[in-house]
Parts: sequence; structure tokens; C-alpha cells
Amino acid sequence: MAGKNITILLAGIVLVGIIAIALLALQSDGGKRVVVVYTSVDQVYSEPIFLDFENETGIRVLAVYDVEATKTTGLVNRLIAEKDRPQADVFWSGEFSQTIVLKNEGILSSYTSPSATDIPSRYKDPENFWTGFGGRARVFLVNTDRLTPGQYPHSVYDMLDQKYPGPSVGIAYPMFGTSATHAAALYSYLGPEQTHAFFTSINNRHVRVVDGNSVVRDMVADGQLAFGLTDTDDACGAVERGSNVTIIIPDQGPGEMGAVVIPNTVALINRSQHAAEGTIFMDYLLDKKRESAMVASGWIQIPSRDLSGAACINSSGIKPIPVSYEETYSALQPAQKDLIEVFIR
Amino acid sequence: MTSPLFSRCNLPGSMRQNPGGRVLTMVFFLILLLPLVGLGIDLAHAVLAGSVDIPAALLLSPRRSGLLAASIGLAAAVAGCGILIGTVFVSGLSRIPQKTLFGIFIIMVSLAAVPPYIHALTWSEVFVVLNGIIPWVPVSGWLVSFWVELMALVPIAVFLSWMAFASVDSRLVDAARLVCPDMTVFRRIILPLAAPALGAAFGFLFLISCTDYSVPSLFSADVYALDIFAQFSATNSAATAFLFALPLLLVTFGVMVTCRSGIRTLAQIPSRLFFEDHREEKVYPEWFLALQTGAAFIILIQILVLFSGLVLATGSMAAFLSSVFMARAEFSYTLLTVILAILISLPLALAGGHALKKPGTRGALAWVIVLIPLAIPAPLIGIGILPLLNLAGLSGGPAALVFPAAVAVIKFSPLAAIVLFVQIRMIDPLLFDAASVFSKNPLSSLTRVYIPLYAPGLVVSAGILGALTMAELGATLIVAPPGHATITMRIYNYLHYGASADVAGLCLMVTLLTLAGSIVSLVVLRSVYRNFREAPRQSGDTVP
Repeated sequence: MAGKNITILLAGIVLVGIIAIALLALQSDGGKRVVVVYTSVDQVYSEPIFLDFENETGIRVLAVYDVEATKTTGLVNRLIAEKDRPQADVFWSGEFSQTIVLKNEGILSSYTSPSATDIPSRYKDPENFWTGFGGRARVFLVNTDRLTPGQYPHSVYDMLDQKYPGPSVGIAYPMFGTSATHAAALYSYLGPEQTHAFFTSINNRHVRVVDGNSVVRDMVADGQLAFGLTDTDDACGAVERGSNVTIIIPDQGPGEMGAVVIPNTVALINRSQHAAEGTIFMDYLLDKKRESAMVASGWIQIPSRDLSGAACINSSGIKPIPVSYEETYSALQPAQKDLIEVFIR
Repeated sequence: MTSPLFSRCNLPGSMRQNPGGRVLTMVFFLILLLPLVGLGIDLAHAVLAGSVDIPAALLLSPRRSGLLAASIGLAAAVAGCGILIGTVFVSGLSRIPQKTLFGIFIIMVSLAAVPPYIHALTWSEVFVVLNGIIPWVPVSGWLVSFWVELMALVPIAVFLSWMAFASVDSRLVDAARLVCPDMTVFRRIILPLAAPALGAAFGFLFLISCTDYSVPSLFSADVYALDIFAQFSATNSAATAFLFALPLLLVTFGVMVTCRSGIRTLAQIPSRLFFEDHREEKVYPEWFLALQTGAAFIILIQILVLFSGLVLATGSMAAFLSSVFMARAEFSYTLLTVILAILISLPLALAGGHALKKPGTRGALAWVIVLIPLAIPAPLIGIGILPLLNLAGLSGGPAALVFPAAVAVIKFSPLAAIVLFVQIRMIDPLLFDAASVFSKNPLSSLTRVYIPLYAPGLVVSAGILGALTMAELGATLIVAPPGHATITMRIYNYLHYGASADVAGLCLMVTLLTLAGSIVSLVVLRSVYRNFREAPRQSGDTVP
């Protein structure tokens, strides 16, 4: 009996091996033309673009997605680690500072896309290592059950206002993701001392510093926070789901600094294996129709071209903070190091 | 000693391996050292380029010392309470019918595959509701972080405590029960005998808790692991992150080395989980019964919160099926990764288990190598091996499909090796000697002696490997081939979007799959084990 059972066990192991081989065969690309795209854009927004591209061009997109939980240590570090033997053809980022990191690491290749001629030059790298297009802004999401219109915040300095108890206000850790980009823009605009003092005050008055912008959104939506600083895609998501929230674009008044606007960026990888397909994909992505589609899907709220913006906010005439992408990038690493000392303790 | 791969017939019971076994052992240790080699090369480059500030990374500032102390405190509290709940709960299992026991066991294993962050999100909702009813109930901070981390690890704590109690020789317990009350037997016989294994379980839980930043950061409790990732994010330098990780690595390594001596002193002849033939209800004082009931209540609450949270968030059967259907590619790739991780890990871990049993310096060195990958943060494992895979020219080709399984082998085969080491120690060496002398041929020994004897350890190892591989994120994200993603990668990607129904549906499916896998594994194990014990009586074979 034992021998019979062991035979069955061994047969089971062989069967599992056969299943593994069959699954391996199923994962094959079958010799199709492919383009490898590393993207930090949420899968729910980027995957439909990839599918449309595949249907139109017959080129298969092999995507690698990032996740918020890895605290921006995922794809960019993978690209740096793969520098001598790149696997990616295109890097599509939901922001710009990590793309500039890659440019300075010598990982990107210069490319001027014909689809980007109608994109304003402020969105583009002067040496054409990357091209930006529509994106998101950093905004306040306000719970309308907890605050009346007269109480809505209008400036990032309101996060220090005593009329809002610290624990009723939220931000994501400003060392990661778009919150880090926002912090870097403030460091560049206000200077290191003033920004350090600003964030120290935020920490001292026990403003809720949470795990990510999506957590800020959820906590405002369910009333744990009166308001919080987050990205427009998160904020609009809460509005579209019918939560009792409203969106305020901060610092738009006379003499105020303006809001931080974060564009998408796309770049070709240096010495990539499918460079031709990579340029085809970039041309496709940078086409005005795609930007329009991404506004409709909820990924872009601040278009770079003459397109109607997202329905959830009035983005026309939005006043951006007067800091260039390069200036923000230059402030990023010192800002992150400073903020680690302030917030992680 | 030793399967045919690991023994020579003319050696009594012993330490020598044949060439195949030696090669497997060397491959096992080489694989485990790969991330360290990769990180070492990266560090050397960074030092030569002057791009890393070694003193700043290695000298602990007051802030980092405080973080490290807080992290150790949180991890110790979580691990200690986890073992306490597990111990009290498992001590009461003799009161539970065997079929119910079987059910509890597989639920515990299946919950272990749900990422801790999902446990945290579900509990977060509970705290918000409680705070609405009772305003002084906190919704963030260390206490909430401790509780949620504890709840996320309770399934593993129960599982490990169960293993620890199973290592106690039931004959010693039966003998003591003839002369002492059950409570005295528990205090003076069972607990001391299970203590080394419980210590090892504490070490594992401490390790998991100490290296996790996701749950504490969700509840605004800053830990040292978060600082490592912040430094990594700020510098994009794996070398810097590695240096910042060294203090934590030393702490976790020290704890694991301490536990290693505990594992090595495990009892020799154990009873077997719930496959005991004679189960008698033990008589404990009422206060202890109340504690057991309390522990059972906590575990029940955890199961209910997670399942009900996931079911409620999924919404409907249609939503569940839709989220699973949309993720079919990820499920198939995850299945492939899990199967490959198990198939590659088990022979290597078996070889590793034998190496761990060696005495003296060789055994100690084996333990050091096995414990290293357990203490390295997950993304650093991915970053560490990626340049080596690139050097070998493996990335970009079909071989890249195996990379996520490879990082799972590096991260989790040490655990399998330790489980198999325990299993090997539990086997009477005389059985192997008898097989060497009396069996007709090596294949017969393998199928009729070695595999049945190793089977419990192999099945438990496969279960642990499967569950942990499925839930792995940090290293997999670094090495996953373009166009392919595991189900955990999809869950975390959707988590950011706020697609809670999809996330809950996928988590539910992961739990159900692990549940099914656990049932199949345990049925196979039970069948093999029972028939193995019955075989000599039925066939009259010389070899058991």
C-alpha cells in the first residue's frame, strides 16, 4: 500500500512538473514584435492605452508596473541596476523627478517625437531626453460633512492654522512619490530654512502623516480627516465615487505661490533592444488623442494642450508654482534627506 | 544522513554525502549568497566612486537609534504576544474534535498567504467604526500598529506554536500525566520541552515584524525599516540602503542565531500535529481554560474580521468573478512561480537541512549562510541579484520568466531548509541504516523509506514556500519579466487606485487558493503518513 501511495505521490510531482512546463510555454511571446514599457502610472489607467496600442499597431506591449507600496524604490532602481544591459525600451512616469534622475544617470536616449510638436516647450527636456504631457496637480481634498465652504482651506499654510486641529489634517509621507516632488518644489520656492520650518511645524502639530496619497483620499472620504493634501487623480476618484468631498486648488490667490503641477513624462531608454518599437510607442502615447483619452479616463486632470480638462475640477487658468522641473529635481534629494530627519523618528 | 543522495551505505548513520548531495548543498549556499555578492559589488563600486558616506550610514544617530529601539520593541512585543496566544490556543486543542482541528489548521495556513497590508486595511476599517462608537479608541499610533501587526501574524504564530508543541515527545507527557495534574505537566514538562521551538518561532515572528514597514507606516508608527526605504528612495543607491540596513540586519541576524540554538535542541521523537491516534482531553484549572477561550476568541475575531471584510468589500459574486477573470494572466503566472519555487527549493532545502545538521564549524557556517537572506530587506535581494543575472546574460530571454521564482528560492528556501532540518532530526537514523542494509535497490529505498520519512517536512515546506512566494512583492517587483506580473503585484497596484472591490476579490481568491492547496497537501500528507505506518504490518516488509 505504501508503495502504491508513493507511486501516486511521484506521479503527482511529475504532473506538477508538466503543468509548470505548460505554464512556461503559455508565457511565451511567440516571436511577435514587442516593446517593453516600464511605467509608474497606475495599471488601471495605463493598461487600456497599451491594449489600444497593441490593437492599432500589432506590437505587443510588455509592461512592468510600479506600486506605491515600494516607496519609489521599485522601477527607477531597477532601471539603474539594468543600466549596462537595459531590458526596458520606454519609461513612462506619472511625474518628472525620477525621469530626470534617469537622465542624469545616463539611462535615457534623446528622441524628438513628431507627435509632441503641439506640446508647449516648458513640458520638454531642453535636450529632448524626455517629453512631458498633461498630468496632475497637488490639491486639497476636503470632507464637506466636516467643513463648511467658509472653512475650506485655500493655502498649504492653512495646514498650520490653529483652527484646524493637527490630527484632522493629512498628508502623505513627503519623502516619497509626488509628495516628495511637492516638498522639493517648496524647498526650491521658499528656500531650505523656511520649508524645513514649515514641515517641522506640520510634524509638531501632529498633522496625520500617512502611508500614501490614496490613504489621504480614503481618510478624507470616510471622514477621518477634515482635509488632506493629495493628487488630483486620487481626489477626482473620490468625487466620482460619490463621497462627500470637494477639491480645492491651493494658493491660487494674488501673491500666493500657486499649485504644484506634475506632468507625465515619457522617455526612450538608451541602447534599448526594441528602439524602433519604442519610438512608435512614444509617438502613439504623445499624440493629442491619447492625452484626451487619459483626461476622459481620469488619469490626467491638467492637460498640456488645448483640451477640456477633467470634469471634477476647474483646471483652466490654474496658477502653477513658479519653479522649473530642473529646479524641483535639484532640490529633491536634499529635501528628502532633510525630511527623513523631520518625519521618521 | 540521508537519502540515497546524501548517504553511503557503508557509513552508519552519518554525515557523509555522495557527490550529488555535495553539489546540491554547494548550489544551495551559492544561491543564498548571491544577493550579498551583488550588494558587495555595488558597495565596492560606490566606495571606489566615493558616492557613499560610510560613517553617516553606519554610525547610528540618536534619531536612528530611537527608531531601531522602537522597531525592536514593536517586533518583540508582536512576536512575544503572538507566541503567547499561539501557545495558549494550541494547549487547548486536545479539547477540539480532530476534523475541526484540521479545519482550523488549513485556515491558519491559508490566512498566512494574505499580504499583511491587507490585514491592516481590513483592521483599519474596524478601528474607524469602533472610534465612531467609542471615541477614545485610537485609529493610529503604536498601539494600533502593534495590534494589527499581531493580528496579521497570528495565523503564522499559531502554525509555528503548533509545530513547537508537535515536537514534544508524547511518551514523556503521558508518563508525567500518570503522576501529576495536567497543569503541572503543561508547566513543567510540555512548556520546557517546547521552549526551544517556541523560541525559534519567536525569532521568525520577530524577523517578519522587524523588517516590515508597511503596517506600521499605515498607522503612522515610524520604524527603522521605513528609514532604510527612505534612504534608498532619496539616494537611489542600493549600497547606501544596504549600509543603512546593516544595524537592523545585525539585530535580526543575532536573534536568528540565538534561535538557531533553540532549533538545534528540538526534541528527538515528536508526536505528529493532529495525526495522533489517542487524544485525551486534559484537565486544566478554570483560569487557564479562560485563557484558552480568550486566545481562541482572538483568533476567531481575526478570521472573522478578515473574511467578512474581504467578502463585504468584494460586494457580489459577479464582482468577485469579474476581478478574478481580469487577473487570470497574473494568476497563471503566480501559479507558475509558486510551482517553480517549490520544485527548485525542496531538493536544495533538503540538502541544506542536512548541512545544518553537521557539527562544528561547518554546521555553524551553514547556519550563518542560511540566516543571511532572512535578514536582508526584500528589494535589496532583488537589486542584489539583478546585476548578476544581467552579467550572466539571463535577463531578457525566456530564463527571465524564472526570476521571481529564483528570488523566492533565495528568500524562502532557508525557511524550508530549517523545517527540513527539524524533520531530519526527528527521524530515527536507524531507519536509514536499515534501509541501506536491507532494501533491494536505491529507488526502492527512496520511494519506500526516505520520501515517506521526509514527507511531513516536505509538505510543510512546500506549504510555507507556496504561501510566502504568493505574497512576495518587494523582490519580485525588481525582477519580474516585462509583461508578466504576480497576483500580489496586481493587488498592490490596484490598492493605490482604490479599487477596493477588486483588491478584496483578488485577496479572497488568494485565500481560497491557499485553502485548497493546504487541504490537498494535508490530505496527501495524512495518506502518506498513515499508509507508511501501516505498511510493515500489512506487507511484512523488513524495511518500514
